[in-house]
Amino acid sequence: MAAAAALCRAFGALAVSAPRAAAARALVPPPPFPPGGALAAAWRGLCGSTPRCTTDPMWKCRVKYTVRPVGMKKTGGRDHTGRIRVRGIGGGHKRRYRMIDFQRLRYNEGTEKVIAVRYDPCRSADIALVAGGNQKRWIIATENMQPGDLIKNSSHIGRMAVLANEGDAYPLGALPVGTLICNLESHPGKGAQYIRAAGTCGVLLRKVNGTAIVQLPSKRHMQVLETCVATVGRVSNVDHNKRVIGKAGRNRWLGKRPHTGLWHRKGGWAGRKIKPLPPMKSYVNLPRITTQQ
Amino acid sequence: MALRPVVLRRAPAHSRGILTRPGPPRPRGPLPRTPWTTRGPPPDQLARVVERRPVREQVELDTVTYAGRQYFVPGLARPRFPPWDRGWREPWHSPGPRYEDMPLRKERGCFICHQRVRMLEGVRQAQWLTKTKLVQGLPAKVLSIAENPAYQLQEQEEAVHRAVAHARLWETTEVSPRREKYCPVLFEDLIHLCRSMSVKYPSLARRMLARNYRIAATWERESTLLQIRGLNGILMNSMTPIPPVASKEEILATKDHVLETFYPISPTIDLQEVNVYQELNDTGFKDGYPYSHPHTLYFLESANKRPNRFRPEQLRAKMLMFAFGNALAKAKVLYGNDPQVLEQPIVVQSVGTDGQLFQFLVFQLNTTDLVSNDGIKNLVWIDSDQNLYESAQCVPEVKKRVVTKPTGIYGLQPETFKKFLALYLHGTV
Repeated sequence: MAAAAALCRAFGALAVSAPRAAAARALVPPPPFPPGGALAAAWRGLCGSTPRCTTDPMWKCRVKYTVRPVGMKKTGGRDHTGRIRVRGIGGGHKRRYRMIDFQRLRYNEGTEKVIAVRYDPCRSADIALVAGGNQKRWIIATENMQPGDLIKNSSHIGRMAVLANEGDAYPLGALPVGTLICNLESHPGKGAQYIRAAGTCGVLLRKVNGTAIVQLPSKRHMQVLETCVATVGRVSNVDHNKRVIGKAGRNRWLGKRPHTGLWHRKGGWAGRKIKPLPPMKSYVNLPRITTQQ
Repeated sequence: MALRPVVLRRAPAHSRGILTRPGPPRPRGPLPRTPWTTRGPPPDQLARVVERRPVREQVELDTVTYAGRQYFVPGLARPRFPPWDRGWREPWHSPGPRYEDMPLRKERGCFICHQRVRMLEGVRQAQWLTKTKLVQGLPAKVLSIAENPAYQLQEQEEAVHRAVAHARLWETTEVSPRREKYCPVLFEDLIHLCRSMSVKYPSLARRMLARNYRIAATWERESTLLQIRGLNGILMNSMTPIPPVASKEEILATKDHVLETFYPISPTIDLQEVNVYQELNDTGFKDGYPYSHPHTLYFLESANKRPNRFRPEQLRAKMLMFAFGNALAKAKVLYGNDPQVLEQPIVVQSVGTDGQLFQFLVFQLNTTDLVSNDGIKNLVWIDSDQNLYESAQCVPEVKKRVVTKPTGIYGLQPETFKKFLALYLHGTV
């Protein structure tokens, strides 16, 4: 396992340096291995002391998809070495993980039927159980999704923009400009990673020769390929930001620990901040990958 | 992340040559990274797309291990031993053959309905799978038995009240019995009441209850292979079959019935798809068994927790599937494997209960030609959601030190037991 982990890290180093290496390959043959990362990884692999593991994270390593909720182990903000990686996490009500399928086109195109829309403890948005063909799966529910609705998945980009209903999944190139979208993916076939929180939505601003520019909920602009799939509409649980926590204990139920009581002098972090928006994030120039199922 | 196959798997402890500790082994390194990160595709996918690098020659060095020392030494490598072979096959610790190597493996998948299959679409789905036309309410023949006072016990209402009170109030030494307890007891008591009719009708004695029997029925439905397999409810067998409920005209009239479909959901959703199976038809009883005709199938939903119980709709679907399975297995014994319209339709009844709510079902198998959607269909009569009693008060309800509701059974509905009794008597009287 240790050797395999070292190998994995070495591959990780390869991934970071890959575009640079690809650019350099035209001129000089690349070095067989980036020297620093691999050696360090190898040394770390040979280290005698074994990392401690406070909780058993093997529940994450499930291979087969299931609709049934999976039991989770709490980490308390600790990583695999047992050190606190994220401060302020711990306790709370027991949660079970429902495997959300973020890749709407995982199986095939076609129609699916919403069976149930319900609360999910692991995220702020509501989730919907949909069935189509022989399988059921959980997806992130959009604002007005009701049991019994039919939702559509399509990967076809036609000459005309489609008239999309809420909850349908289309590539960005097929949608009319100005559509509210959610569950956006940064690379085609990767699975949705953007605009998934409750009540959020992005706006499809414009489409430029094979790419689409989307305004994220943070008002930042993002450029992705037009084959990236997004869901039409706004994510459910719109009133999520209006709920009243009411007391400190409710935050503890949610697994959040209190802030430190230490007095800090107010510095630059306090007060009004006017910062320009960060530049547009582009995912277009990275190597194009399609899923190889 | 969890949807992806995990490449890095720790070998089991016994294959690494170390003694097993109690409990599952803890993983050592960090977990495999998220396959798709924000930086882009996973490294191995990227490596596949970017030009193939020449694999560096792996130099096998003589690694110095602490195998000879027999204890952990820092700086020396962990010894790798070949997996231990115990020299004989031990069934508890030897992995079986892989699915690919099993002799019964077939290319074509089969959808299996067993007793834990909960159908999403309920009775509609079961109707499509069994090619059945639904009629609400019980058939007139059964209802006439239920209405006729000649076919009823003496002091029937008191007896039913006593049976319910026995199951819900008196059976336990605790405050109130659990559903796992009172549901089978209530069933036994009701069956006992039904059996006492055999004084009047001696032919009722030629019945037999069978538990834990397994059926197997295979059929094909529009290019999908379907099976009903395994344990199911408690089957009451009889020596004589039940005469057909529907007349010839009614059977012929089912030709015009159009089966309901539910696009986009496939009718085989929630059935278990397997590739290792045997195409078998078996009633679960040997050939010379004298009580060879299935009469009534009783399903007890006695799970105490609500999510473990079948909901009424799912229970009705299961009752329909297994009544059909029993009838089909019997038909294949009687008429052979060729699909045909049966001369003498086979009737199987079914009763499902969760200790309070009763579902009654009469199924008539008209045809074993199930491949196509047209032609003669089977028939089912379903009488659903009949309460035997409203509530059972195990602890008296006290308000302001005054007993407002003493213990007892409330809202007894004797009509439900009349139907239960009518299904028992059906086919004999």
